[in-house]
Parts: sequence; C-alpha cells; structure tokens
Amino acid sequence: MSDLVLKDVRKAYGEARVIHGIDLDIRDGEFVVFVGPSGCGKSTLLRMIAGLETVTGGDVIIGGEKVNDIVPADRGIAMVFQSYALYPHKDVYGNMAFALRHAGEDKAVIDERVKKAAEILGLEALLKRKPKELSGGQRQRVAIGRAIVRDPEIFLFDEPLSNLDAALRVQMRVEILRLHQRLKTTMIYVTHDQVEAMTLADRIVVLRDGRVEQVGTPLELYHHPCNRFVAGFIGSPKMNFLAIDPIDDGRRVRYRQSAPIDLHVKTRSGAVPTEIGIRPEHVRLVEPGKGAFDGTVFVVERLGGETFLHVDFGHEEPFVVKADGGVQLRSGDVVGLVFPAETLHLFDAEGVAFEQTERHALLG
Amino acid sequence: MTNIASTGRARAGRARGLSTKAAVHTVLLGYTIIAIFPVILVILNSFKNRRGIFSDPLGLPRGETFSMEGYATVLTQGDFATYFANSIIVTVSALFLILLLGAMAAHALAEYRFRLNTLLGIYLILGIMVPIRLGTVAILELMVDLNLVNTLLALILVYTAQGLPVAVFILTEFMRTLSRDIKDCARVDGLSEYRIFFEVVVPLIRPVLATVAVFSMIPIWNDLWFPLILASGDATKTVTLGVQQFIGQYTVNWSAVLASLSIAILPVLGLYALFSRQLIAGITSGAVKG
Repeated sequence: MSDLVLKDVRKAYGEARVIHGIDLDIRDGEFVVFVGPSGCGKSTLLRMIAGLETVTGGDVIIGGEKVNDIVPADRGIAMVFQSYALYPHKDVYGNMAFALRHAGEDKAVIDERVKKAAEILGLEALLKRKPKELSGGQRQRVAIGRAIVRDPEIFLFDEPLSNLDAALRVQMRVEILRLHQRLKTTMIYVTHDQVEAMTLADRIVVLRDGRVEQVGTPLELYHHPCNRFVAGFIGSPKMNFLAIDPIDDGRRVRYRQSAPIDLHVKTRSGAVPTEIGIRPEHVRLVEPGKGAFDGTVFVVERLGGETFLHVDFGHEEPFVVKADGGVQLRSGDVVGLVFPAETLHLFDAEGVAFEQTERHALLG
Repeated sequence: MTNIASTGRARAGRARGLSTKAAVHTVLLGYTIIAIFPVILVILNSFKNRRGIFSDPLGLPRGETFSMEGYATVLTQGDFATYFANSIIVTVSALFLILLLGAMAAHALAEYRFRLNTLLGIYLILGIMVPIRLGTVAILELMVDLNLVNTLLALILVYTAQGLPVAVFILTEFMRTLSRDIKDCARVDGLSEYRIFFEVVVPLIRPVLATVAVFSMIPIWNDLWFPLILASGDATKTVTLGVQQFIGQYTVNWSAVLASLSIAILPVLGLYALFSRQLIAGITSGAVKG
C-alpha cells in the first residue's frame, strides 16, 4: 500500500510562510502532477514529501504511516532531480548501484536490478561510461534508472525535463508515461509546464502561492476550471479574457456597447459575472460584419498544422484565435469573430467561475 | 569584390592574431625567465666550489669550478636526512589537517542553515587579516605549558591554525556553487551527513583541494620562524632551519647552503606534481547540467 495523504501540510521559513495548509489524497499507482508558476511552492511540497524539507505543520502519511520525522531513505521514495544530480566520479553502473550498495544489498541482487533498469531505459551499452560522457537525455535516463533500481513505492520527479531541449523533452515525456504504465507505481511529478502536466497526469494539482487552486483530471481542469487562474494556466495558448458589464443582478451581461445577452448560469448571491473567458481554439472566424464584432489581425503565427492569429478589436489584453494551418489571412486583414456559447467561461470579480446550467449563445 | 575584400580582411586578422600571440608569449616567456632565474642560479652554483661561486656566479660549472663539495658536506655533516623527514612530516600532516578541517568547516558553512552561520564564517576567516606571528609569544607560552616545545606536533598545530582561514575562505566560496540536488540525492539514497561529505562532496571538490594544498604548502615548507622558536632541537629541525648551520657569523659555506636548498626544492616539486594532476578543472562536468 503506498497511498500518500497530506493533511493540512504547512511550511514556513521563520516568518515567511510558503505552504498554507494543503490537503491531498493520492491513490496507489496514480500519476499526479503538481503544476504552478515559479515560486508557488510545488517543489517545496515535493521536497517535504521526500523528507528533504521539514514539515512545519500537518502530517505527511505514506501507506498509512506518518512519516514527518522519518529520514528520506526510509520513506520508500526515490527522487529524480532537475539537474540529474549524478555522481560525477562514478560510472553509470556505479551511479545506479550506489544506493543499494550503501544499503548492504547482495551483489547478485544489485547486478540483476541494475541490469533490469538499464534494459528498461536502453542504457545497457552505456554502463561503463562516466556522466560527463553522456548526453543530456542519457543523463536523465540514468537518473531515472537510479530511482528504478531502488524499487520505491513512490517516484518523485522534480522538473526532470526542464534542462532538455524541446524534441528530447517530448520523447522523454513519452518514456516516462510508458514507465508508469509498466511499473504501475505511484508517481508525483512537479513541473511549471502545463503541457507536461496535461499529457502525463492522471490528476493535476494546480498550485498558487502555497495553496491548492484545483485538483482534477486534465480534462476537468480544461473544461471546468474553478477560477480565472486555473482557466488561464491550463491550455496553450492561454484563454482570452474579456471584461463585461453585468445588468439585472447578473442575469444579463454585455461587452462594451453590444446588445445585452441573457445568461443561464447558476448565480450566487452577492456575485455577478464580470468577465468571460474563451479559449483560442473555440473562437470561430467568419466574414467581417457577420460575427459578434470585427477585429484586425496584427500578428500571424504559422505553426504548419495550425495558425495563431493575434486579433485587435480595441481590447486591452492580447486576443488570440487559433485557426487552421492553411488559413489565408495576413496581417492587416479584418475578420469577424464568433464566440460559441457552449465554450464560454464566466467569472466574478474575485475570479471565481460560475457553473453554467445551460450554455447559451452569448455575444452572438 | 566583396570576396577579395573579405579574404584580405581575414588575412589581416590572422596576421594581427599572430602578432598578438607573439607579444603575449614574449611577455610570458620573460616572466618565466625572471621567475625561474634565481632557482636555476641556486642549482647551478650548488655544483661549484667556493671559488667558482664568487669568481663567476653566472657561469656554468665546468673544469676546475665543478665540485660536489656542497653536496658532500650536506650529506656528511649534520643530520639532513632527519631534517628532511621532519620537514616532510610537518608539511604533509599540517596539509592533511588543513584540508580535512577546512573542508569540513566549509561544508558546514555552505550547506547548513543555522543561527550565527555568517558570524561564524567571518570569525573563521578573520585569521587571514591577522598574521599568526603576532601571537608568537602567546603560542610559545602555550606550547611550554603543554610540554610541546621541541616536538613536531607543535609545528603541525601552528601551521594548521595558520593555513585554515584561507582554506575555509576558498572552500566555502566553492562549496556554495556545488549543486544542492546531488547532496539531496545522496540523502534520499540513505547516506549519513558524514558519508555525504566524504563520498559525494570531497570527490567533487578535489581540484579546489589541490589548489588550497599548493597555496598552503609553500609557506609551511619555507618557514623559518616557528621552527626556530618552537622546535630548534637537533631532532626536530626542519630543512630551512638546518641550512642555518652553514651560515656562520663570519663565514658562510655557500656550496653547502645552495646544495641543501637545491635538495629542498625536490620534495615540494614532488608534492606539487601530485596536486597539479588534480588541478585539472572540469572534473565536475557531467554531474549537473552542462
């Protein structure tokens, strides 16, 4: 059993509080990703689970046992670091065998486990190399191999792919996924990259300023973000936001001087929608004059398979529309924009999202 | 047109590169000659007799000026084997203690967050600014009280104290640049803090340890002050002190002085060769991203 439970976990360095009471329940075999902007406390939280940081308040419970005061080596965890942290004076074999040798494991057992990990990661030919003779991807594989041989109950990954180039990152992402499918071990993965979070996670934990903003599957977070922060953080390019004026206690809204529109949302007492959000991929392009409003394209980013259009219609923040790769638009062209109602998100002044009872054609 | 122009420019650039290189090497060569000249002079003259030294100090030893009398005196008179052994024991022991204690103190200062960390660091480094010789009287009194006068241990302790501030200073600065991940990784692997220091940190700082060793070694080997005051007995004399017996009030046996100094260069050279192999940087490359 290797469930991980965090109960009101807190961390403070003297007066500076960085983690403000986090409750979390991670099931055996789950792949959970902690994601958030830098400085949100995600790495600190991971290090507290590892035992590398002391817990100021609350409990960390692994497999039903409180581990607050247990040293990292006895927690049944293995950690993979962003900088690989390989021992430079040991070869690949020595790096992978180090922890087991230190634990006084039998030589034959060590050999078998190292060979098996090397096979899983395709490192057989490199066992005699020193870390400096390896490429970045190979080094990270050795770091993962070092974690595998320890046969941990929980894998902890601290931004393991941040030092790799883009192509390698995509490749290693797939390898980590396959590793999880093969080992079926609990994995906790910290990243600031929402694409990694979306592609890897069974469940994502979005953190901000030492607090959990939302926990859910990637698609839950994508379709039902509970607030403006999560809505803006998940998805790339990020969601567009437009300030709106509520009328009639929030039963209707309008954008600038457009016609008022009826809302079908579960209104809360004391809260009215003041902002709508729409993802770039949900905006539809039509002929000028046929949409909610017209805008001028001022930047065209062509990615081949898709095109990102930056559209100006007098809005303060950048407004991005995702279009086909073959779209025949150039900078300076005027387009009409349609916001399909079922794709709109509504937020109040505090940024809290509204649940929609019935999604309705809003703003055209 | 542009092609010709650019080749011309390239040629001019190459020529300029060559002349710069020549200038740099001239300066370096001149500096090397100035630095090595006294050493060469000592070695050359150590192979001459007294008359040869004074009549032609810069000449090569040949014919009637060539003589091994200096070496003969050194090897027969006095107990130079003991002096050498003393010098080597004192230098190597003091170096070992400086490196061990210095690295441990630096590791603690760089790695652990505790109250008074900064203050303790400043206290340990203060010795750089205060010459240890200022405390000679107190040190002598202390050694007398401890019954350590005329022992090698007295010298070893004093030299360790003398070398520690610089060692702590250099090593702390370097340890701060070590990756925190690698130490954390060792913690997850189950190593105790001592084993992290000896098995993970020490191999990583070997080049810096060698640098500190070279820096600390020379003043210890060459020191005359403390051997004269703390260990002037015949059994505990070091080489630099032993040489003094050839320097009389009225006559100086130059052949013997120069011969003993020439021999004294060898052990230091040996130690330097030992450390310089470690000086090659880049030993940490591959540990962390890079």
